[in-house]
Amino acid sequence: MDVLLQQLFNGLTIGSVYSLVALGLTLVYGILHIPNFAHGALYMVGAYITYTIMTSLGLHYLLSILTSIIAVGMISVLMERLVFHPLKDSTPIQHKVAAIGMLLFLESFAQLIWGADYQQMETPFGQVIDFFGLTVTMQRLIIVITAVVAMILLYLFLKKTFTGATIIAMAQNREGAHLVGINTNKVAMLTFFISGVLAALGASLTSPINLVFPSMGHLVILKAFVIIIIGGMGSIPGAILGGYIIGFSESIGATYISSDYSDIISFALLVIILTIKPQGIFSKGGV
Amino acid sequence: MKKKTGFGLILFTIVCLILTACSGEETGGDGEAVVNIGYTGPLSGAAAYYGENTLNGLKMAVEEINEEGFEVNGTTYTISLETLDDQYLPNEAAANARRLVQEYNTPIIYTPHSGGVNALQVFNEQENFIIGAYTSEPAITETGNTLTVRIPPSYAGYVEPFTKYMMDRFGNKLAALPPVTQYGKDWAEGLIPHWEEQGGEVVHNASIDFSKDTDFFTILTNALEKDPDVLLIGGASEPTAKVAQQARELGYEGGFMIMDQAKLDEMKKVMGETYEPLEGSIGTMPLINADYPGTDEFVEKYREKYGEDPGSEAGFHYVSMYIFVEAMKEAGNVEDAKVIYENIQAGLDSLPEDKKVYNIPNIDENGGFEIDTRIAAIEDGEIVPKEVE
Repeated sequence: MDVLLQQLFNGLTIGSVYSLVALGLTLVYGILHIPNFAHGALYMVGAYITYTIMTSLGLHYLLSILTSIIAVGMISVLMERLVFHPLKDSTPIQHKVAAIGMLLFLESFAQLIWGADYQQMETPFGQVIDFFGLTVTMQRLIIVITAVVAMILLYLFLKKTFTGATIIAMAQNREGAHLVGINTNKVAMLTFFISGVLAALGASLTSPINLVFPSMGHLVILKAFVIIIIGGMGSIPGAILGGYIIGFSESIGATYISSDYSDIISFALLVIILTIKPQGIFSKGGV
Repeated sequence: MKKKTGFGLILFTIVCLILTACSGEETGGDGEAVVNIGYTGPLSGAAAYYGENTLNGLKMAVEEINEEGFEVNGTTYTISLETLDDQYLPNEAAANARRLVQEYNTPIIYTPHSGGVNALQVFNEQENFIIGAYTSEPAITETGNTLTVRIPPSYAGYVEPFTKYMMDRFGNKLAALPPVTQYGKDWAEGLIPHWEEQGGEVVHNASIDFSKDTDFFTILTNALEKDPDVLLIGGASEPTAKVAQQARELGYEGGFMIMDQAKLDEMKKVMGETYEPLEGSIGTMPLINADYPGTDEFVEKYREKYGEDPGSEAGFHYVSMYIFVEAMKEAGNVEDAKVIYENIQAGLDSLPEDKKVYNIPNIDENGGFEIDTRIAAIEDGEIVPKEVE
């Protein structure tokens, strides 16, 4: 019983990170129909910026995260302006090639600036606490709580504000949104900004439990793609639910089947869900 | 008319190419003779840091050697190190090696991963080059390849002393958590039978995939549920340290048996510059704590040049370059890999004391360097050397 609870918590931690990353990916997909392969690289850049601010400027962990998410949001907007916007009239394959190009560029860039070695991000929240019989570190609790808060804020923003509604409108019908006077350029930039923010937030929160290195984005990006396919490409509740499904299936599967098969379990789940609902759990646009 | 000019241009280009190719062959820039040494390893991608470390050792040795050059049959040679990136992929390593042989005529090609070594062994005897194999995988020298030199010690030498120390200090319940690589699996398979022979019990066996797992809590929770006395962990130093750290967070109090790829001093950095969480670990002796004749000088020079502590990758590559140079001198030949290979033992014998970053008295009949292995344990927060029988 103890193990089950502990593993549920482990699944919750890792699922929260997956969900944050998948949310950014699904937002951009929903609006621009671009599978942004460079999203994992933004995640990595977010971790590096937080790390650099903490070590060179000596700012507090939380302040560093705040700076980092704004910076990565800006980089993400810049990427939309310089790479994806000029391609708006071209075929989807060009978007994909451009996204892969950005991925390679950002990774090599990180290796050039920060070196290929592993960096260790310190956290002021490393304390181990006993949480109703579970072994939990402060950092992990913060991951779960922050992720949930970020998701609620995102949901309220999309549902309750006018600007948020424009994002949904554009996800549902780009031309229609344009016709009723929504500035699609602005919405695209805003979406990329939010996507960058979520990537940097996820990376900065997880880095203290792992390491910071140029190819760290690979750890999450493949799973994020699985998640948004399971949840329905472009669906926000789908990304959240999908993230937790993968998180729990990994931790519970590792316990009761075998940790060597955790990937098989995720992908088998993908196959089963797609067999039943070929469009994913929540079909596109249904925010 | 237009057609003719085009043809002439092509002909001219070809002639130019042939001329450049011929003139570049024998000599270096200022008329000195040059020996090209090849290297193919991961210089980008996930293992780039490891690749850089191996290359740093080689570069340092080459720079030092080139200050004076070395004399073979009355001619003074310098070394030109030709490096290519293979991203840790065996197929890329093979393509690179072919290119190195064809373009630069390299008698020796280094590669720091067992997959690459296997790929090169397919054709190195025909193409006549020595593989400078940096991997502790013993299988690569057991295939009967006559031109492979295994530089680091085989991990088989660690199994016995590690087992003895752990059983004496902690107990006989082992949870094996090797990395999912070929190296990790072979290591575990080498250790487990010995552990059981000595009366030990393996209570858990699962592998960790450092290229996919973001968090190790899940795997560790399952392993610790079986209440082991000893954990077998390994892989690159930094992620391995993370595994150890998370095991401590989950309340584990036993010992860590650390596979030779990970180094205690590098793990310490991730732990916040303290050995305390690693109390009761056993692993290879970190190079900076070793006491071979040339170690201190090497560590000092390396720190000055690269601003960090050298690991064993750099140390082994450094010393091996000197050994190959000595072998070329003894052989009186810088081209024929077979002749150079036959003279490696002579090279080992004539290696100057101050270059002995590691003490390597012999090369065995299969081409593995026989090294006085040093191991160390963490006791009361300090590195303590342990005897190997």
